Amino acid sequence: MATQIKMPRQGQSVESCIITKLYIEEGNEVKEGDLLFAYETDKASFEYESEQDGVLLKWLFNEGDEVPVLETVCIVGVEKEEDEVVQAWIRRSTPSGPRQQGESDPRQQDDIPLSRHKVGTSPLKGGSKISPRARKLAEVKGIDIRSVKGSGPGGRIIVRDLEGAEKAEPVLITTADSDEYSEEPLTNIRKIIAKSVYQSLQNSAQLTHHLGADARKLMAARKKIKKAKGNKGYVNITINDLVCFAVIKALAEHPRVNSQLHGETLRLFRHVNLGTAVDTERGLMVPVIKHADSLSIEEFSKRAAALSVQCRSGAVDPDILRPEAGSFTVSNLGNYGVEMFTPVINLPQTAILGVNTIVLRPADLGDGVYGFVPYIGLSLTYDHRALDGGEATRFLKRVAEEVENIEIK
Amino acid sequence: MPKSQFIDPDKIRQKGEIVFQPIPVNQYSKSLSEERENFSDEDLVRIYHDMLLIREFETMLNLIKTTGEYRGIAYNHPGPAHLSIGQEAAAVGMAYNLGSDDYIFGSHRSHGEILAKGLSAIHWSDDKSLGKIMKSYFDRAIYDIVAKDHDSSVKELAKKFLVYGTLAEIFARETGFNKGLGGSMHAFFTPFGVYPNNAIVGGSGDISVGAALFKKVNRKKGIVVANIGDASMACGPVWEGIAFATMDQFTELWEGDMKGGLPLIINIMNNHYGMGGQTSGETMGYGMAARIGAGVNRDQMHAERIDGMNPLAVIDAYKRKIKVLEEKRGPVLLDTVTYRYSGHSPSDASSYRSKEEMEAWQKHDCIYNFRRELIDNNITDEDSLRLIDGEVNDLVLDMFKMVIDDDISPRMDLDKDTDLIGEVIFSDGSVNAMEQGEPEVLISLKDNPRVQQIARKERYAFDSDGKPYSKMKQYQLRDGIFEAVIDRFYKDPTLIAFGEENRDWGGAFAVYRGLTEALPYNRLFNSPISEGAIVGAAIGYAMCGGRVIPEIMYCDFLGRSGDEVFNQLPKWQAMSGNIIKMPVVLRVSVGSKYGAQHSQDWTSIVAHIPGLKVVFPATPYDAKGMMNAALQGTDPVVFFESQRIYDIGEQFHKEGVPEGYYEIPLGEPDIKREGSDITILTIGATLYRALEAADILQDKYSIGAEIIDARSLVPFNYEPVLESVKKTGRILLTGDASERGSFMNDMARNITGLAFDHLDAPAVVVGSRNWITPAYELEDYFFPQPDWIIDAIHTRILPLEGHAVKNDFSDKGKIERAKRGI
Repeated sequence: MATQIKMPRQGQSVESCIITKLYIEEGNEVKEGDLLFAYETDKASFEYESEQDGVLLKWLFNEGDEVPVLETVCIVGVEKEEDEVVQAWIRRSTPSGPRQQGESDPRQQDDIPLSRHKVGTSPLKGGSKISPRARKLAEVKGIDIRSVKGSGPGGRIIVRDLEGAEKAEPVLITTADSDEYSEEPLTNIRKIIAKSVYQSLQNSAQLTHHLGADARKLMAARKKIKKAKGNKGYVNITINDLVCFAVIKALAEHPRVNSQLHGETLRLFRHVNLGTAVDTERGLMVPVIKHADSLSIEEFSKRAAALSVQCRSGAVDPDILRPEAGSFTVSNLGNYGVEMFTPVINLPQTAILGVNTIVLRPADLGDGVYGFVPYIGLSLTYDHRALDGGEATRFLKRVAEEVENIEIK
Repeated sequence: MPKSQFIDPDKIRQKGEIVFQPIPVNQYSKSLSEERENFSDEDLVRIYHDMLLIREFETMLNLIKTTGEYRGIAYNHPGPAHLSIGQEAAAVGMAYNLGSDDYIFGSHRSHGEILAKGLSAIHWSDDKSLGKIMKSYFDRAIYDIVAKDHDSSVKELAKKFLVYGTLAEIFARETGFNKGLGGSMHAFFTPFGVYPNNAIVGGSGDISVGAALFKKVNRKKGIVVANIGDASMACGPVWEGIAFATMDQFTELWEGDMKGGLPLIINIMNNHYGMGGQTSGETMGYGMAARIGAGVNRDQMHAERIDGMNPLAVIDAYKRKIKVLEEKRGPVLLDTVTYRYSGHSPSDASSYRSKEEMEAWQKHDCIYNFRRELIDNNITDEDSLRLIDGEVNDLVLDMFKMVIDDDISPRMDLDKDTDLIGEVIFSDGSVNAMEQGEPEVLISLKDNPRVQQIARKERYAFDSDGKPYSKMKQYQLRDGIFEAVIDRFYKDPTLIAFGEENRDWGGAFAVYRGLTEALPYNRLFNSPISEGAIVGAAIGYAMCGGRVIPEIMYCDFLGRSGDEVFNQLPKWQAMSGNIIKMPVVLRVSVGSKYGAQHSQDWTSIVAHIPGLKVVFPATPYDAKGMMNAALQGTDPVVFFESQRIYDIGEQFHKEGVPEGYYEIPLGEPDIKREGSDITILTIGATLYRALEAADILQDKYSIGAEIIDARSLVPFNYEPVLESVKKTGRILLTGDASERGSFMNDMARNITGLAFDHLDAPAVVVGSRNWITPAYELEDYFFPQPDWIIDAIHTRILPLEGHAVKNDFSDKGKIERAKRGI
């Protein structure tokens, strides 16, 4: 199975990098850990290590070339017979002209369109045109538009061209539909999420503590809010909004939890940039509310609701979706009835709070009277590299206390 | 036209001559002592007081403009101030016999008239009604300001109210009579019968005719006076207004108590100059303006030249002319001699007249001379007059101080409420009848022959097998308009309609057939061929509180009523702070097959002007529902109708056009056919050509077009269109207006901005060519056709397999044509 080696994105604003050295010749063996190539941005230089064994099948760029980030730099495969697959891939990527048989040197295709299908990247420089609707559709479906021929006016790629392209997806991953199962390639978003959670679990020391908070005041507050529906200036403040608000207050007293771990440096944030998980058709998104500590509960609630809508419609600002944008995340599965779970941290953040459903528990109401009291479960996952259990637990307890003492005017 | 008026060739070809009667010039010769039997001493002193107040008011403004201060108080007024210093006697004399039921209309130079009329109205009113007027105006906004610390009579308070309200309006304060939105040139106060002053020269010339029409038709007390200038006698609207006001039909065809002339005095405040152009001797030919009356009708408009420098001469003339109007022998033309010392405007250096001339007139100063006469005739003495001088000065100074105080008299706060002016552009009212009462009709609805004819028609175009009924059997678009109009005639007693060939002929396109039988002349009549006055009179009629349907026979004639449609109709609601409503539904018929000057679609020009609602229904169901909505409203609506489709049946509403009353809210587009591949938005009759194109797209290319009929241009709800574009990703707009500068381009730009990320191609506009409309035989090369739509789609949105393009929609073609201005 051939792998496309893509130019990494070394930072938020980096658009492209220059290849300074190619270490392996085409046709040569590659071992895991070998350096494939060196590249630089205007700030720093890097080297790319192979993550697998294989054969360097094809270089798509030369030394000295400027390569847009996430563009494929070379192909590393298992055996030489993958050549055909690779050739098919290279052929498909040429934007115009007749299909070329046999060897085609992509390095001579200097009009390879520099397109990307990441949200929020800069417009096309030279090469094919594409309508806004088609561009979005291509992103969502994970179609590489360099492989699409535009049939619109002036050679513009339009929506109907993608309907054809979808059906002609690359054969890199063999789709073997059979009676027993069907297969579908992962979308870009899925791939990004997969990478992110896997790396989080592999590259940290996460564990989760669970704690219940007396939810009576929380539920009373929510009831009071709902009663005011229809009044002027009504804001639909949800249970999640209230819990987030409690978290923000608790973080004020436990600043070490409001942090990110970068290598051996703990970055402590002066403001709370709170990520709130939103479930959408396309996958999980975690938009960040910046400086959430300076908002009133109404402002927070409105902002959270607006972001939720934007995420679902695909209109959200991609900058606030990055894990680096947040200093803490809250993920709420209470609506689904989950009583306890182990949320995964958005690295480089150091913790994440999972909010569970409300369950009834027997409790001592005083004077030997026992009754059922609603409790809301709080599941805090923290990175033990950055925080100790005691610290994390004290923070969690503080959150519970804030929840237990909620007052709404 | 009316068969009762037989044109006898024998009489017409007979020999004879036209004889003119002499027109009196300055015939008034009574002395003050002779007049003492007609006036009390108080009356005479009041005349002096009123003239002096105007003089001091205008002098104050003059000092502010020229020196930046008044009596030591500094103030800067950057706005206009066209002053009438010297013309006081003409204003006071004019107003003396007029009460609140009498309406005056003015010009840009009407401060004196506002004050004179207001003072007269105050004099004739009782305390109770004065109190009511002041307290109810803008919810006590002005009353509370002037009543604070007031400790004398109600009439004195009313004077303060008048001076304050006028000055605050001039200085653009929110506490002015029109919230500061009218300013010096458009200030007015209707409770005292002071109707809008018009900054457009001669603008009141036809509007006042409509007001007089309102008084007559609705049997109201009072007369109407139009105070216009000598130079305005060159203006179209004034001549058209005169033509309209002197129509023979008032005396020869109108019946019963409606028989007789309009209660209107056209009062030329003849100060001998336009801005600087000298009318007599340079820019006009009449010598004395009163001459004009002789050329208009047999009564010579009862024209007289009167001495406007003597208030008693003016009062005498008005007394006599009001009697003429009461005897229904109007209208009257007065040529009032006067003079202004102040320049046309503050920037006027008076280079057009000599110092000697001004000094000569100052010797004839009306106030100085009248004052002397009062003393010489022992009506009053110097001391009493000095007292009055002092009171007037104090009144002006006190009100001045209050008006320039930003705390007492703030301006509109557009920082706090950025949409404040937007709130008054439309009144958005919903009123069944502008006044209560029994509508005057000649027969019952069910006896109406047209109503009976329509009852036999099919209200849905297709039978149960889907076959269309014959045109004669189909309920047509014109029937929809008719049903809405006649329904309102039977509901709203104030509703009238007029235009060219409206009565008898039934309207050039048979929309009004059947109305002649139902309505007396005073509710439906033929106007002269005066598009300006047709719209102008409608404006005046509506200003007084009546609902009216003026008609412009061909859209191409809109140019003839340009000022009325662009400068007057859209603005009075806002300029009055929404005190005045404008329930005018201007029907405009868009032609075709009639060549270059009878086939143009000018919807875009009208839609550009803020203050107008603009609609263009294309089906019988829409036409009836929207005409009902327009006639229920209180805003000016320009209601476009396409002559191509007056006879079209109802193809969409399967239940048929409802017989009862229903409204379609203005501003809502309508999806006429659903589809998912491309959205086509149409304005007007192109709906049907778009449907043809949609059939071709479906049959030949399997493309489903969603056809949206705009129905309205202003207001317009984009949301349904955006929903459609989100679905299809493609949009094409089409209408019969020439593409350049069209409203379609406005919509296309808005849609692109609002739905950019959903677009698979830029929005495309298919309008008419930027040419003259050719003859019928060549029309299909000018107006959008179904194959143009297909070609445009192919070239600019979605190339169609196997399609061969005939019309050039390419980039190159567009650029070349734009370079050539075509």
